[in-house]
Amino acid sequence: MLKRSEKNTKIAIRNLYKIFGEDPQSVLPYVQDGMSKPDLLEHHQHVLGLNNINVDVKEGDITVMMGLSGSGKSTLIRHLNRLIEPTAGEVDLDGTNIVKLKEKELRRVRREEMSMVFQHFALLPHRTVLENAGMPMDVRGVPKAEFQDEANKWLDRVGLKGVGDQYPFQLSGGMQQRVGIARALCSNAPVMLMDEAFSALDPLIRTDMQDLLLELQEELKKTVVFISHDLDEALKLADHLVILKDGYVVQQGEPQEILIAPNDDYIVDFISDINRARVLRVRSVMKVTENIPENVAGEVDYDDNLESVIARSEGETGLTYVVTNDGKQVGVLTMTDLVKALVPTHASDDGLRAGAA
Amino acid sequence: MATYDFVFEATGLQDWCTSGEGADAPMSMEALTAQASGEEQTTSIWNLPFPSMDRLNDACPAFPQSRNVTRGLEEGFLNVKDSMSFVLDPLTQPLSWLLEGALYGILNTPWWIVIPLLMLLVWFVSKSWQLLAFVAISLGGLAFIDYYSYAMQTLAIIFVCAVLCVLLGVPIGIAMSRSDKMRAGTIPILDMLQTLPPFVYLIPLIFLFSVTEPKLYGIAIILYAIVPVIRLTDLGIRMVDESVIEAAEAFGMTDRQKLYGVQIPLALPNIMAGVNQTIMMSLAMVVIASLVSAPGLGVLVLRGINNLELGVGLVSGLGIVLLAVMLDRTTKAALNRINASQKG
Repeated sequence: MLKRSEKNTKIAIRNLYKIFGEDPQSVLPYVQDGMSKPDLLEHHQHVLGLNNINVDVKEGDITVMMGLSGSGKSTLIRHLNRLIEPTAGEVDLDGTNIVKLKEKELRRVRREEMSMVFQHFALLPHRTVLENAGMPMDVRGVPKAEFQDEANKWLDRVGLKGVGDQYPFQLSGGMQQRVGIARALCSNAPVMLMDEAFSALDPLIRTDMQDLLLELQEELKKTVVFISHDLDEALKLADHLVILKDGYVVQQGEPQEILIAPNDDYIVDFISDINRARVLRVRSVMKVTENIPENVAGEVDYDDNLESVIARSEGETGLTYVVTNDGKQVGVLTMTDLVKALVPTHASDDGLRAGAA
Repeated sequence: MATYDFVFEATGLQDWCTSGEGADAPMSMEALTAQASGEEQTTSIWNLPFPSMDRLNDACPAFPQSRNVTRGLEEGFLNVKDSMSFVLDPLTQPLSWLLEGALYGILNTPWWIVIPLLMLLVWFVSKSWQLLAFVAISLGGLAFIDYYSYAMQTLAIIFVCAVLCVLLGVPIGIAMSRSDKMRAGTIPILDMLQTLPPFVYLIPLIFLFSVTEPKLYGIAIILYAIVPVIRLTDLGIRMVDESVIEAAEAFGMTDRQKLYGVQIPLALPNIMAGVNQTIMMSLAMVVIASLVSAPGLGVLVLRGINNLELGVGLVSGLGIVLLAVMLDRTTKAALNRINASQKG
C-alpha cells in the first residue's frame, strides 16, 4: 500500500469559504479574520457554511467527511462539482480550478469526471431502472441501444440482475440505492461523490452496502468522497477521515490516528461510544521492533483489528504476538497493550496519547 | 346650495367652477324636487352624503360627473379600437379558420366515421371499457334525439380551444416556473381572468371583432379557460423533487435536457389536471358564448331561455352535462394512467 504522501492528489480544496446570506462578499473579511458562526449570524445576519476548508483528496482513496448535521459536510461535497458556488477559495481537480470553469466545461466535468450518489437516491421515477442506470450515458447523447449493455453490466455488478425493466418505486430502498450506485459507476467517472449515500437505509442493508462499496473499490480504485454522520461507517470506509464541525475542519488524518489521538473534545465525544476493538488495528497499538520476544503465542497480521486478536487469544491477557506484514515481522503486540488501547478515551487521555506516540 | 360648496370656497376654485357653466346636465331627483318646492335644502349630519363625483358636481358644475368615468373609458376604448383591431384582426384570423375548419369538418364527416373515431380516441386515452361504453351510450342517445350536430359543434369548439390553451398555456407556465419576476407579473393577470365574470369578456370583444366571426367566442373561451393549465404547469414544475433536479445537474444535464427529460415528465400529472380543468372551463364558456353566435348546445339553452321552451332547455342542458362527464372522465383516466406509471 502506498503511503498517503506518495499518492497523487486528485482533488485539492484550498481555503474554501461559503457564506449564506444576502451579500456574502461583504462579510467575508470578517470571517477570514476569525469571526465565529454565531457572531456572524447575530451581527451580520449571514450563515457561515464553510470556514477555510483545506483538504487533499488522494487518488484511489475513500475520503470520508464526517460531522453532525449542520456541520457543512453536504455543503462541502456540493462544492466539488459546483452544485453550490463557493464564496471564496479553490477546488482543484487534477490541477484545474473547478470554481473558474465556464458552464460548458463544468458540464463536461460533471458528465465525465465526477459522478454522484444521493442520500435519497434521486432516481428519475418515470424511467425504468435500466434507463436510470444508463442516465449518465443518456445525458451524453448515447442512444439507449448502445448504453443498454453498459448499464446492465453495472446493474449486475451491484447485484440487481433482471430488474432493469422495473420502475424505481417497485424496488426497496436498498435496491434503489444500488441503482444509484450503478448509475454513478455507469458514468465511468474517476471520482465518485457520495452524499450520505447509506444514511437512509436500515442498519443491516447499510452494512451490506458498505461491503459492496469496499468490494467495488478494491476492484475499481475510484476516488471516492463519502459524506457520513455515522462514525462507525466513517471508520469502516475511510482511508482518510475529515471531521467537520460548524463549517471548519476539526481534525483530519488516518482514522486510526484520529482515534488514538483525538485533538478536540468534540471528537472525543464522538469516539467515546464506539467499539474500539473493532476499529483499532494491530499496527496502531503494536510496538515496532524486529526482536523476537519470548513466549510467542502466534502471528497476527499488521492490518487485523483488535477484536479478531482478542478472539484468538480467547481472552488470555498474558500472551504476546508477533506482528507481520507480507510475512515479515514488523512489530510485537502484547495483550496488555491491546487492553490498554481499549480503554475509552475520556478515562485516560494522557495515557493513550503517550502510548500511541 | 349643495353640501360641498365649502370645499370649493375654501380652496378658491369657485372661478374655475363657474367658468364651465354651460354644462347644464340633468339634475338629480332631489335637486329637482328641491327646485320645484323652491325650498333651500338643508342636510343634517345624519344624511351627509359621501363626497362622490356627483355630489361635488352639485357644488361645482365644472367638476366631472361619475358617468363621465364610464363614458371616458368607453370613448378611450373606441378611440384605440380601430388600431387595436388593425393589429389583432390578422393576428387572430387563424383562430377563425381553425374553428370554421373544425366545425365544417365535424359536420360534414358522416356520423359513422366521427363516432368510431371518438370512441377510438377515448379507448386510446383511457384504456377503460366502462368509459368506452358510457361514451357510446351517451353519444348514441344524443344522436338518437337529433342533438348530434349540436353536440358535435360544441365538441369541435372545445377541442380547438383546449388544444390552443395547452399550446399557449404550457409554455407560459414553464416560463413562470423559471422566473419569479415573470410569475409575480403573471399571477395578477391570471387572478383577474379567473374572477372576471364570463359575460364581461364578451363586451370588449364585441367591439373589437365582428359578432359573426368565430374568433370572437374563440378568444373569449381561451382567455377564460387557459388559466388552470398555466397555473398547474407552473405549480407542477415547481413541485418537482429538488433532489431529482440536483441529480440531473450533477450528471451534467443541460437546461433543455432537464426540462424535457425531468421537469415536464414529472410535472405531467399536474399539467394533465390543468388540462382537465381547462376543458371543463371551456365547456362552461362555450354555453355563454352562444350569446355571441357560438353554435352548439348553448344555442339551444339560449333558445330555451328566450322562448321559454322548457323541454329544449332542459334536454340541451342535460346534453352539456353528458359532454362534461365524458370529457372529464376521459381526461381523468389519462391522468390516472400517468400517475400510476410514476408514483413513488
